[in-house]
Amino acid sequence: MLRFLTKRAGDGILTLAALVTLTFFVMRLAPGGPFSSNRKISPDILANIEATYHLDEPLLQQFLRYVWGVVRFDFGPSIRFRDYSVADILISGLPYSLTIGFWAVMVATVTGVTLGILGALKRNSIIDYSAGVIAVIGIAVPIFVLAPLMQVYFALTLRWLPVGGWGDSWRNLVLPIVALSLPNIAYISRLTRAAMIETLRENYIRTAVAKGIGGRRVVWNHALTGAVLPVVAYLGPATAAIITGSIVIETIFALPGIGRHFVDAALNRDYPLVMGITILYGGFLIVFNILADILRGWLDPRVRNE
Amino acid sequence: MPLIPMTDSLLRVRDLSVRFRLPEGEVTAVDHVSFDVAPGEVLGIVGESGSGKSQILFSLMGLLAGNGRVSGAAHFAGQDLLAMSPRALDHVRGVAMSMIFQDPMTSLSPYKRVGDQLAEGLIVHKGLSRRDAGREAVRMLDRVRIPDAARRARSYPHEFSGGMRQRVMIAMALLVKPRLLLADEPTTALDVTIQAQIIDILAELAREIGTAIIFVTHDLGVVARLCDRVIVLYGGRIMEEGPAAPLFAAPAHPYAKGLLHATPRIAAPLTPRLETIAGAPRAGGAMLPGCPFAPRCDQRIDICQTTPPPLKAIAPGRLAACHLTGETA
Repeated sequence: MLRFLTKRAGDGILTLAALVTLTFFVMRLAPGGPFSSNRKISPDILANIEATYHLDEPLLQQFLRYVWGVVRFDFGPSIRFRDYSVADILISGLPYSLTIGFWAVMVATVTGVTLGILGALKRNSIIDYSAGVIAVIGIAVPIFVLAPLMQVYFALTLRWLPVGGWGDSWRNLVLPIVALSLPNIAYISRLTRAAMIETLRENYIRTAVAKGIGGRRVVWNHALTGAVLPVVAYLGPATAAIITGSIVIETIFALPGIGRHFVDAALNRDYPLVMGITILYGGFLIVFNILADILRGWLDPRVRNE
Repeated sequence: MPLIPMTDSLLRVRDLSVRFRLPEGEVTAVDHVSFDVAPGEVLGIVGESGSGKSQILFSLMGLLAGNGRVSGAAHFAGQDLLAMSPRALDHVRGVAMSMIFQDPMTSLSPYKRVGDQLAEGLIVHKGLSRRDAGREAVRMLDRVRIPDAARRARSYPHEFSGGMRQRVMIAMALLVKPRLLLADEPTTALDVTIQAQIIDILAELAREIGTAIIFVTHDLGVVARLCDRVIVLYGGRIMEEGPAAPLFAAPAHPYAKGLLHATPRIAAPLTPRLETIAGAPRAGGAMLPGCPFAPRCDQRIDICQTTPPPLKAIAPGRLAACHLTGETA
């Protein structure tokens, strides 16, 4: 286990290094820069500003300067949000995105797996068809359509929940969490349903039935592992994506998370912020993939030796 | 049917039919089959692929595929297996009737320790504690000659070879000391060198426990070695039935003759080609009005294609379904 962790952590750092390098140079290939706005700036002032941010140095030197900063956990200043460092921005927004994201992953996993199993056990029943309809809606209708509809109905018409914003009450969290989890509920329930149906056809399930292991025990004690393994594999990358926030959700519900920076930073050519977000997301991806692999190894002994 | 002995049988199967509903119509896999198994007896059911031999076992165990329908009766220790509630059937499967399958590689759960898979039946059906059940499991693994059983009980199936896994399956099936064991071609998927070992272990343990066996196979050598009585099945019907030794010495039905003739023998003089039965085995389709073997039979007469031959006695304890053999008894 320790050897596995050291190896995966080493691989992760290498991956992150490659990601940082690639992003740094590809980002600079894009035309424009942080100060190329409509407003005319005199060349003297521009040169001055660029010197402040070391943008006048050769690209390689800038890269080395950045990497040297990163290894000391200095991610540089944001160019767009003056007076704030990249670390300040991410640390202040992350708790909101993590909270919404954590609950969305929980809700999506529990609901998705439950719906999937019920659908597989009672195929072509009302439950199965309802789960299918939810899945189709969740996958086919974009969040930016569903979320405003939910606001109109639950917040404005029924007045059960606030329209948006971050407050002290859990009630502020309900709509964003539901909206963020819906597509994942849809995907996870389909994944679980297919895997459960396939698992129930396995020979070892027949063996269990032949041993006189009755209905419910076969499902929970024998078939469940096979049915959730694909979900575990899916949850690794999905969790990283969900907990780092969603620009759509955060914009619609006016939440101060970091999701919006994914798009804004790139559009503004806020180079250090783009890099910071890339490292954060890449780090989460690597960590959650390792966690998913550990969980998979715990569930499936055949994976452990790989 | 006075021809079949009615005395103290453990399993009494009467008019068992299995039909499958397929998109192209209904297919009869087993057609009005009747037979008995005495306590401790080893009955072999032989036949080519598609003769319905495995479906007999699956129907008794309640394991038919979803599109399968069964009719008839199968009294096991006095109760009809085919008319039982699922709960009662679970109990019978748990304590009195076990089954081992053709493919040991996929018949054990890859996610559970071998010892736990064995112990589960004892815990659920015999109320043993985890510890006692675990100890019983190790003892049984030892008896199927798995070396270092106590340690191996904590291993997972993928750490076992095919032959070892089939031993685990045998241990699991016999752990509850069943009165009847259904064995569905348990050696087909194994190396020839291991087949004999598995058969020996199975036969020895079953004799010790007093378990009766229905052994389904197409391997006549195994049947000759193991079985007291043999049923030869073709097209879902019994062609011939009788004690193993006389049946092998002098088969009465043309199909049984052909089957024996087609078995290669190492000791026999070399022939340029392996013997076969002409034609292809029946695979489903509509039932023929006459004898199912008639299209391939080299001795058929007109009546064979119009009237199904009844199963009748040809010698004490021997039955055959052929229009040609009835009169000789």
